[in-house]
Amino acid sequence: MKFLLRRVGFLLIALWAALTLNFFIPRLMPGNPAQAMMAKFHGHVNPLALKALEVAFGVNTHQNLISEYFQYLGNTLTGNLGVSVSYFPLSVTSVIAKALPWSLALVGVATIFAFAIGTVLGAITAWRRGGILDNLMPPVFIVVSAFPYFWVGLLSIWLFALTLGWFPLLGGYDETATPTFTWGFIVNILWHAVLPAFTIIITSIGGWILTMRNNMLTVLSEDYVKMARAKGLKNKRIIWQYAGRNAFLPNLTGFAMSLGFVISGAILVEYVYNYPGVGFMLLQAVVNEDYALMQALFLLITVAVLVSIFISDILTAVLDPRTRVQT
Amino acid sequence: MLKIFSKFQKVIGVALTGIALVLTQSLIPTSANAAQVPLNLANEQGMLWPCSFNPFNPSSAPYSVGVTYETLSFVNSLQSGKSTPWLATSSTWSNSNKTLTFTIRDGVKWSDGTALTSGDVAYTFNLLKKNPALDINAVWSVLSSVTASGNNVTMQFAQSAVPYYYYIAGQVPIVSQSVWSKIANPVTDPIKNPIGTGGYIMSKCTPQNIQWTNNPNYWQSGKAVVKVVNMPAFLSNDTCNQYLATGQSQWGSQFIPSIESYYVKKKAGNTYWFPPVANVSLFPNLTVPGLNDVAVRKAISYGIDRVAVNNIGEYGYEPAASQTGVVTPTFSSWLDAASSTAIGKSYDPAKAESILKAAGYAKDAKGIYAKAGKELAFTLSTNGGYSDWVAAMQVVATQLGKIGIKITVAPIAASTFYSNLYAGKYQLAYNAESGGPTPFYEMRQWLYSKNSAPIGTAASSNWERFSDPAVDKLLDQYGATTDSASQHSITNQLQQVMVNQLPVIPVLEEVDWFQYNSKAFTGYPSPSNPYAQPGLYNIPDWGYVLDNLKPGA
Repeated sequence: MKFLLRRVGFLLIALWAALTLNFFIPRLMPGNPAQAMMAKFHGHVNPLALKALEVAFGVNTHQNLISEYFQYLGNTLTGNLGVSVSYFPLSVTSVIAKALPWSLALVGVATIFAFAIGTVLGAITAWRRGGILDNLMPPVFIVVSAFPYFWVGLLSIWLFALTLGWFPLLGGYDETATPTFTWGFIVNILWHAVLPAFTIIITSIGGWILTMRNNMLTVLSEDYVKMARAKGLKNKRIIWQYAGRNAFLPNLTGFAMSLGFVISGAILVEYVYNYPGVGFMLLQAVVNEDYALMQALFLLITVAVLVSIFISDILTAVLDPRTRVQT
Repeated sequence: MLKIFSKFQKVIGVALTGIALVLTQSLIPTSANAAQVPLNLANEQGMLWPCSFNPFNPSSAPYSVGVTYETLSFVNSLQSGKSTPWLATSSTWSNSNKTLTFTIRDGVKWSDGTALTSGDVAYTFNLLKKNPALDINAVWSVLSSVTASGNNVTMQFAQSAVPYYYYIAGQVPIVSQSVWSKIANPVTDPIKNPIGTGGYIMSKCTPQNIQWTNNPNYWQSGKAVVKVVNMPAFLSNDTCNQYLATGQSQWGSQFIPSIESYYVKKKAGNTYWFPPVANVSLFPNLTVPGLNDVAVRKAISYGIDRVAVNNIGEYGYEPAASQTGVVTPTFSSWLDAASSTAIGKSYDPAKAESILKAAGYAKDAKGIYAKAGKELAFTLSTNGGYSDWVAAMQVVATQLGKIGIKITVAPIAASTFYSNLYAGKYQLAYNAESGGPTPFYEMRQWLYSKNSAPIGTAASSNWERFSDPAVDKLLDQYGATTDSASQHSITNQLQQVMVNQLPVIPVLEEVDWFQYNSKAFTGYPSPSNPYAQPGLYNIPDWGYVLDNLKPGA
């Protein structure tokens, strides 16, 4: 119980610190949103529009920073995230609501796949140390993990979309289709998700394989594994229930972190595949000095990371009794 | 107890089945459009569509003004502001150019079936007066009242401002009073379903695509015959260029490197035309020592080989600009012969150095010209987001280095670049103005002292902080006349100011990016028929072009 309370306390303090940084850092940027919008128009808009934009965005109605800060804290707690200036006049909530499901589904599922496949492969390569799999996989995946996302992305677009024509070039679904809950549309979405998901899995799986393999090797040399073998337990049981369970713990925290970052999407993947997620939206929010959108996205990422770490802490405590006893 | 691990194998099994399923479904049926292929537009904006169509918001105006909302006249920037009647059948200036009267067209219907009236027009302008945040062209900086009577709308001006005709008649979209009077806050309303008089109705919008269908009851018979128009959202230029090069799009306004091999040769009928519309110029901060000396600015202008800058930095797409400030061939008829003669050879490094020597500068040990111990060494800021501009400025820096002026190129993030430019916190900056339908508009943006502001305060244009009462007077005189001969004579005098004082140094001409396939659809603007600006970001031009397109044979 004491353990749980401590974790909750840490969660709250970290949240407050994140909220505060989140408020002040964007305000250190030069210029204002109206000027950033003018920059975006590439000179295709009458220069006098600057004044109209400043009026629309309320740029010159400066209150002092401190009262703005408390107003921001209050608004955030009540879920009022403000109006996005780059998607003016839409509210931040509605802008994010349109993009978040795409990132969650694509990046989330791909991350879970990469982690699951990577962990299982890592465990197996460690168990069959010196086998074909172990000789082949770690070197191959060390190389593959070093490939940048966008490079693998561009290559697979060139090969599978442009040359072979198996998969679509871009988008989350046929750009002219209307999102509906029909089987045809779901297939359309999955079909569009194959290449981006493949890119994420290919470039991130190596890390999971290597760390799991290394953890596993350490654990396999423990006495209790020898003991299990001596007792004549089935290999399958030793791998997963005895060695795997312990080797898995350090990976769990890493996985929790990467799950948290799913919210931020995968900027490069979304960019390369023109995928309608939040990653690229975050980048654009920064470029356009869209404070409200930026803050909301950073807030989501922070909360997601903190909450997943919190859950992984709890889960670690469940899986490993030793973490519970420390005072 | 959690049995996660033994379940992993099952999870993978399910996943692989899923992937296999998707693979087998990869040939999904697409709904066939029997009659006519849709027109797909390639217009990368680096964002997903917000699906807001407020015509008075500069971010959403390009997706509603021209296509759905129409203006009183169509003013063509490629034909020196030639005006074609649109929602107004005629317009007249009176009261020594302080009253402008429009006659509103009969028989025009809004897409909700009600008729357009002069009341709608007066309502639109008074809406802008009430909400300055909507007045993006600042028409109420010159207007004093707008009233409707019968078929006419009468506009009274506080001062004569003839060039504002372009903004008032050519840029302000007319909206329906019956619809807009019910909108609680017209500034923050996204206008999800725009009701306009135009040839196209926004029929479907998702973050990935905007779709328009032609208005079956359009008042101009025989126009707006392309049935379905799609504008997919593109996050990156590369993806958008691929979409265009693979022939999925038939009309694009993209920057495409090596366009001949990447686009033109890919498909029969692929064509491009980049008409110049404004200048991309060096803005010398006139408050900076050295740059406040006209001899230095002259040397800079003569020291730049603009043709080489274009070929190396811009793939030869942006023609060399003229120090007169007049964009050719678009505005060739405005060129002042005397000013052109005064310039002589536009690239003349020997002359540049002799000008510096005559002004008392001498080369120091480092080979840089200096006077009283002060070297001619400047930082040239440019928007780091445009790689072509950065490349062009590297070329300029090398060229000016050869004539003994040291230039350090500083590519800066867009928002910082603009905030420094507006506030005058820079030495030399490379940027473009929006220009307008005659050379006067760009010159007024450059030179009018009221557009400027003290250092530290944002200036919307005239970033170099030029101020000359004689020039202000010339610009005001132009604003008061409708006489073409006096307009030409004033523009000639402004060119002489550009050539003698060099407040701004034009380097290259900014062009409209325009690619199209001449087989799929016909009727696009061309060098022989430049009836509108063809770039998909030009309002209301691209909607005007769309009205005139026909499906190819």
